[in-house]
Amino acid sequence: MKIVIAGAGEVGSHLARLLSREKQDVILIDNNAERLAILDADNNLMTLKGRPISFKTQKSSGADQCDLFIAVTPDETQNVLACSMAKSIGAKKTLARIDNYEFLDSNNRDYFMRLGVNSLIYPEYLAAHEIITALHRNWVRHWFEIHDGKLIIVGVKVRDNAKIIGMQLKEFAMVEHNFHVAAIKRRHDTIIPRGDDRILPNDILYFVCTPEHVNELIDLCGKQQHRIRRVLVMGGSRIAICLSALASDEFKIKLIENDMSKCRSLPETCPQCDIVHGDARDIDTLREEGIMDTDAFIALSDSSETNILTCLTAKELGVKKTIAEVEDLQFISEAENLNIGTIINKKLIASSSIFQILLDADTGSSKCLALADAEVAEIEVRPKSKITRGPVRSLDLPYGMTIAGLIRNNQGMLVTGNTVIEPGDYVVVFCLGGALHKIEKLFK
Amino acid sequence: MSEQMHIPRTKRVFINLPMLLRVLGWLLMIEAAFMLVPTLTCAIYQEPDIKAFLITTAITLATGIGMTFGIRTYNTSMGKREGFLLTSLVWVVFSFFGMIPYILCSNPLTITDAFFETMSGFTTTGATVYLNVEELSHGINMWRCLTQWLGGMGIILFTLAVLPMLNSSGGIQMFNAEVTGITHEKLRPRISQTAKGLWGVYGMLSLILCVLLWIGPLNFFDSICHAFSTMSTGGFSTRNNSIAYWDSNYVKIITTIFMFLGGVNFSLLYKICHGEGLKSLFRNDTFRAYLKIVSLTFVAFVIAIVANGQAHTVADVTIDPLFQIITTITSTGLTASNFESWGPFVLALLFLLMFFGACAGSTSGGAKIDRILYLLKNTSNELYRSIHPNAIRSVRINSMIMSPETVNRVIAFLCIYVIIVAAGGIMLTAFGLPIVDSFFSVFSCVSNVGLGTGVTGYSGYGFEVLPDIAKWVLSVFMLIGRLELFTVLILFTPAFWSK
Repeated sequence: MKIVIAGAGEVGSHLARLLSREKQDVILIDNNAERLAILDADNNLMTLKGRPISFKTQKSSGADQCDLFIAVTPDETQNVLACSMAKSIGAKKTLARIDNYEFLDSNNRDYFMRLGVNSLIYPEYLAAHEIITALHRNWVRHWFEIHDGKLIIVGVKVRDNAKIIGMQLKEFAMVEHNFHVAAIKRRHDTIIPRGDDRILPNDILYFVCTPEHVNELIDLCGKQQHRIRRVLVMGGSRIAICLSALASDEFKIKLIENDMSKCRSLPETCPQCDIVHGDARDIDTLREEGIMDTDAFIALSDSSETNILTCLTAKELGVKKTIAEVEDLQFISEAENLNIGTIINKKLIASSSIFQILLDADTGSSKCLALADAEVAEIEVRPKSKITRGPVRSLDLPYGMTIAGLIRNNQGMLVTGNTVIEPGDYVVVFCLGGALHKIEKLFK
Repeated sequence: MSEQMHIPRTKRVFINLPMLLRVLGWLLMIEAAFMLVPTLTCAIYQEPDIKAFLITTAITLATGIGMTFGIRTYNTSMGKREGFLLTSLVWVVFSFFGMIPYILCSNPLTITDAFFETMSGFTTTGATVYLNVEELSHGINMWRCLTQWLGGMGIILFTLAVLPMLNSSGGIQMFNAEVTGITHEKLRPRISQTAKGLWGVYGMLSLILCVLLWIGPLNFFDSICHAFSTMSTGGFSTRNNSIAYWDSNYVKIITTIFMFLGGVNFSLLYKICHGEGLKSLFRNDTFRAYLKIVSLTFVAFVIAIVANGQAHTVADVTIDPLFQIITTITSTGLTASNFESWGPFVLALLFLLMFFGACAGSTSGGAKIDRILYLLKNTSNELYRSIHPNAIRSVRINSMIMSPETVNRVIAFLCIYVIIVAAGGIMLTAFGLPIVDSFFSVFSCVSNVGLGTGVTGYSGYGFEVLPDIAKWVLSVFMLIGRLELFTVLILFTPAFWSK
């Protein structure tokens, strides 16, 4: 697929790297030659210096023949205009990053279609949604729904108090039939476990199960589902504003912001929140604002380090759920090993949802998400493929992969050794990084 | 978090040797495939040298297969270090395997001579140790010209076009290390597409040239060989007198045109083949400079020839000087006329042309016109600044402003280029060569021109009279020149090897 990306900012360059690694033809446009030079030297993609809103630049980038035009510059009007121009000269699909909740309204969809913008993406809004999901399901680390929620992948960190600690997975499978442990993240490594692997304290276990059994996991992993009401947010960022717009009814949100001028404008954008001017890094400020009675602490300041550290402080002060925004990719893995409930990254959220749009357009690729070093793919089984030749146990599948579950007749189910996979099933596969291409052959 | 970036946790090794050797194995298999061409030639002409080629192909193929399938790689990542090391190594390893036919054939060379000949072929220098190429078998001549053709566009570039496994960031490093020029323009989003595009243009031009020569007085074999060595601006010929053998203006004109094209940036040619009009060619600063240099020297040559009383026919003042200018500036080194009789001024101009070379991104050698352009524009800016100290002026090429870092790099390149020629010349004098010949041979090898020391009157022979050690030194200089200094020189810096 030929993809033109306008804007080599954080989202744009991350997406460009990701797509180029997925063997797509990527052309990156930006006005800043220095930013492009770094990407151009190290990645298998083409860069072009120029203004995204220029017909000349767009034509020389080949936007007139591209399959997807993605505009992710910091300015939303520029993005919409760039998409509109690209569409008018022949781009098949366009996608613009926006900063305005109003634009997402389904009543305005037609207008954007007329302009030539096929999809809109609002990273802050998506991030706020993630935060709300994390607040609802505050006992999990990760929560993914596959195939419209027919199967659910849950990442849970287990501690000494969990019943299943020390169990071998084959014992676990004998006791519990409703779950499949598809991957384990242990310190920095991701393992696709076999029957004789043991569950150790501080592992993050990735369970696959059907929606009706999810809540049984709370007990098994020694977790508690808290009811969250009071939420303390550090930093009046755009995500915080989005969050207050979406969830002020449900949660009682208190915002702590360091910058006085921002504080002045916040009451207008977040009418239902309490706004406090102060530094959330200061433990006294936190105490004064009632951190002891707070159910959840969300750190959304510009600095990843501050977010991580204040979350740790909040946890020590007894907050049940902490959420940190970590924008530096290399910190994510480190932060996950710390005692932080959930980690939010705008770039990854944005790029994964763009990936999803790509998947709809290009059936050749099946990767749906990446968990640390493991990849998860949802693959449709073709008739006469190797995987359908017998029960799973007799297939002699390669190491480093596991079939976590399948969706048959729109119904999710788990896979055991005796399951026979049929053509037309959607199979959810976990595999270690890079092995996906080999595995896809089994299904064709 | 709905998605996490793939952060590789496998340990990054300092230099990924297993992967390096594996890729090298793949490359050797490609070389073995190319060796089938001379093998086939020998088979057609029923020459005994077929044995030499069969043995070489077998050895190369076996080594390649052994390296590719015998070495296990756990980590397939390739960084900048691997890129530089592999690129330099490939050219050396290719020469070591490519020299085997010369040693085993019916006119055997010593190892030194054979290596020199192969390196001279791959780097498109065109300096030869053979006194009489007409007594060589067709197979050997075909192999000489084929090495030039392969080296002209680049071994790595060819591999990038055909091997999907290098279509990654590791491939980009190798592309940057091998392709000539200051900045490396990508034509298409993926590196393999760029490589395919460039090789496509190159192959097509070679084919057209071959047909055109075949229509003329050349036989089929000679046309293929000359198409290979002309398009790659290499300069090996199947005849002792080079192009002069045919004494045909048609051959001279055709060869001149295609040598000229071989000196143009292939990205420009690619763009013209893909819809951009000829106008874009003339809008290109480098191409305009290329044309200007050629026409100015042409005028100077004609004046010199007339002044020396050598203008006997129309061809003497038209195609002959033009041919000589193009063959020198593109670093081809084919000869068609007796230019020694045109006087010392012409010779001096030829030295200058050798230094200039043609456009970056072409198959030619030399320092490249692009760099000279940078130097001139920067110098004029500096001079302007001496009068207007506060003026801000930038180097502008093709309406793009070049960053001071790029300009610095180019000027550093030119300085090092001169230093290398000087250092090499001094080194050769240590082996007992006359001073002019030492400097000229090094200059000729670094610029990949390959004009022999015969030009300067050194005993009237080619490179075969040099002592063995001088041939090895010159082989290294050819490689340094072909890979444009930095790729090879960086291997000799402590920073490259220290962790």
